[in-house]
Amino acid sequence: MNKSLKDVWNVTKWEFTRFFKWQDMIKGTLFMLGFALIGGLFGYWVATDTITIPEIAVHEYGSFSKEEFQSETFRFIDRSGEPMDVLAEDLAAGELDGILTIATTDSAAIRMQSERGWVGSLRGFLSELRTEQKLQEFHIDPSVYSEIEERIVLHTGFESGSASSSADKWVAGIAIFLVLTAVFIGFGYQFTTITGEKQMRITEQVVSAIHPQTWIDGKILGISGIGLTYVLYYGALGILSTAALVHYAGAPFGQALALISPGLLVVFLLLFVLGVLMINSFLAGMAATIDDPNTSQKAGWMMLPIFPVVFSIFTIFNPDGFAIKLLGIFPLTSYAVLPARMVLTQVAWWEPVVALILLAATAWLFRKWAGKIFATGMMMYGKEPTFKEMIYWFRKS
Amino acid sequence: MLAFESVVKQFGKVRAVDDLSFEVGKGEIFALLGPNGAGKTSTVRMIMQIMAPDSGSITFHPSLRIGEKVDRTKLGYLPEERGLYQDTPILKTLVYLATLRGLDASVAASRASGWLERFGILDRKNEKVSTLSKGNQQKVQFIASILHQPDFAILDEPFSGFDPLNQERISDVIRELRDGGMTILLSAHQMQLVENIADRVLMINHGKEMISGTLNEIRKSTISGQKLMITYHGEVNEELLQQSDDVRSSTLTADGEWEIYLSENDSLNEALQVLLKAGSVASLRTTEVNLHEIFIESFKEGGTAHE
Repeated sequence: MNKSLKDVWNVTKWEFTRFFKWQDMIKGTLFMLGFALIGGLFGYWVATDTITIPEIAVHEYGSFSKEEFQSETFRFIDRSGEPMDVLAEDLAAGELDGILTIATTDSAAIRMQSERGWVGSLRGFLSELRTEQKLQEFHIDPSVYSEIEERIVLHTGFESGSASSSADKWVAGIAIFLVLTAVFIGFGYQFTTITGEKQMRITEQVVSAIHPQTWIDGKILGISGIGLTYVLYYGALGILSTAALVHYAGAPFGQALALISPGLLVVFLLLFVLGVLMINSFLAGMAATIDDPNTSQKAGWMMLPIFPVVFSIFTIFNPDGFAIKLLGIFPLTSYAVLPARMVLTQVAWWEPVVALILLAATAWLFRKWAGKIFATGMMMYGKEPTFKEMIYWFRKS
Repeated sequence: MLAFESVVKQFGKVRAVDDLSFEVGKGEIFALLGPNGAGKTSTVRMIMQIMAPDSGSITFHPSLRIGEKVDRTKLGYLPEERGLYQDTPILKTLVYLATLRGLDASVAASRASGWLERFGILDRKNEKVSTLSKGNQQKVQFIASILHQPDFAILDEPFSGFDPLNQERISDVIRELRDGGMTILLSAHQMQLVENIADRVLMINHGKEMISGTLNEIRKSTISGQKLMITYHGEVNEELLQQSDDVRSSTLTADGEWEIYLSENDSLNEALQVLLKAGSVASLRTTEVNLHEIFIESFKEGGTAHE
C-alpha cells in the first residue's frame, strides 16, 4: 500500500474508532428497548384507565326521552329533578364525571371537572340520537338513509403496473429515514471533529505530517463509515423489530419485504454510500471554515444537506411528477429521491445509471473542494474565509 | 540539511520574512531566536511546508527528499500552536501521530512506552490526555515530535510550559538526539538553555537576519565580549562613565555592582583608567557576555538587520 493510501486508512480508522463505540451502541439499544418497554407499560396503563365507564348525570333531556339514554360506553343517571347546585357539589366531590344539559335537538352542554377524553364519544352518541329523531321527523326510513350514506367503490389501476400500496410507502419512508439518519450523524461528527481539532490546535501537527487532502479524505471516509454502520445496525434492528411485531399482529410483512428486489437494494446502497460521501465532503469543507462554533454564522449552512431529504418526502405523494423525476437524477437530491421513486413506481433503466454517474462525479468534486477549503480554512485562526473565497476554491477544484 | 535562500513571506502589508537566508548543517543544533513577531514561526511553518514562500527557495538535503518532494517521515515537528486529542488515551494518540509519520504501529507503541517511562508517565499511558497536567501534556507533545526518529526535527518553543527541572531534562534529551545524529532546529526564548545546547544561532527581527554564527562568533560581532563588574567605595562619578568613549554602557545593578560594557576595539587598559577615575574601586571582575544579554542588547533599540 503506498504511503498516501496508508495515511488515508490510518486517519479513517482513527476517526472511526474515536467516535464509534460498540459498547455505546449496545447501551443505546438497551436504553431504547427499556424506554419502549416503559412507554408500552405506560400506554397500557393509560388505556386500561380510560376503560372506566364515566357516570354522567342528565339534568335536562331537551326533546329526547329518558329511555333513549342507554349506552355501553356511558352510565347515564337521571337527575332531571334536582337543582344544579346539588349536582355541582356531587361533581366537585368526584361522585359524578359530568352533568349533561340538553337544550334543543341541536345544542347540549356537558360540565366536567376538567378536559376528559370521552367527550368525543359523547358527542357521537348524542349525534346518533339526533339523527334518529330527524329521520322520524322527516319520515325517512333508516334503510333508505343507510343507502344514501353509502360511498362509491373506486378501484385504482396504474399504467406502470405497480400499485403504490401503504407497504410501498412504508418502504420508501424507511429509505428516506435512513438517509436522514446518516445526514444527521455526518453533521454531528464532522462538526465536532473538525471544529474541535481547530480549537484544540491539533491541525498544525497533523498537516505537517500528511497532505490536507489525505487528512480530509480519511475524515470523510471515517465519519461516513460511522453513519453507514449506524444506519445498517438500526436498519437491521428496525427490520427485526417490525418482523417480530407483524408476526404477532398478523400484518403482511412479507408483502413489504417482497418490494425490495436485489436490483433495487444494490442501487439503493450505491446511491446511499455515494450520497453519504458527498454530504460528508460538503460538511467537512464547511466545518473547516468555522473558527468558533459558538459564534460562527456558518454553522447554519451545515444544515443544508437536510433539504434534499425533505424534498424526497414529496416523492411519496407524486412519484411520477416531472419535478420529482428531475430530482431523482439531480446529484444533490438523487440519493434520497430515486430510491423512494424506485419503490413507488417504475423508473427507466437509464435513470439510476445517470443518477449514479452524476452523483459519483459530484461527490468527487465536493471532495476536492473540501480539500482546498480544508487546507486553508484549518490554518485560519481568528477569522473565517468569506463566501467569495470559498466559491473561488470551489472553482479551482 | 536545509538551505533557506532569499525567502520572502508577506501577510497583507506585513512582511513576516524578508529576504532571509541561512543554512542548517547535518547533526547540529541550530537555534532560531528573535523577539515576538520577528518571523520565527513563519520561517518554521515554511520549512514544514505548511505555508509556501512568496519568493526565494527552501532546499532540503537529498536524504530528506524522495525525488523533488520532501519526505515528511524524515521530519519531526513540535509546533508553537500546540494541542492534543483530549478525549483519547495517551499511548493511542502517540501511536496514531507516529503512524502518520510512517512508523509501524507496534514499533511506535513500544518506543512510546520507553519515552513515557523516561518522562515518568508510563503508568498513565491508557488514561485520556485531558487527565494530564499542562506540563505532562507538553511532554507527550515533545515525544510525538521525535518518536519516529526523524533525521531533522524542528522544535518551536520546546521549553515553554515546563518547570526549570523539566526544561533541563528536555535540554538533555535534545543534546542526546543531536549526539545520535539528529539535526535540530529550535526556536526558543529561554536564552540560557539555548546557550547551553545550541551549536549555532540565528537572531532575526522583522523577518531579517540580525546576527548569526556560533556563540563565540556572535559575542565578537556584537558587544565585543568584554564585560566588567565593578564595586566602588563611596561616591561614583556617573557622568564620567556615561560620557567616556571607552565605556559603551554602564548600569548600576540591584546588588550595587556596576555592569560595564566596553566599546568595540578598545583595550582594557584605556577602559580601566576611566573606571579608576570614576571612583574608589572595591572589587573588579571580568565576565563573559551571555546570550540573554546579547539578545537584550541587540533588540532593545528595535535592532536593525546586518547587511
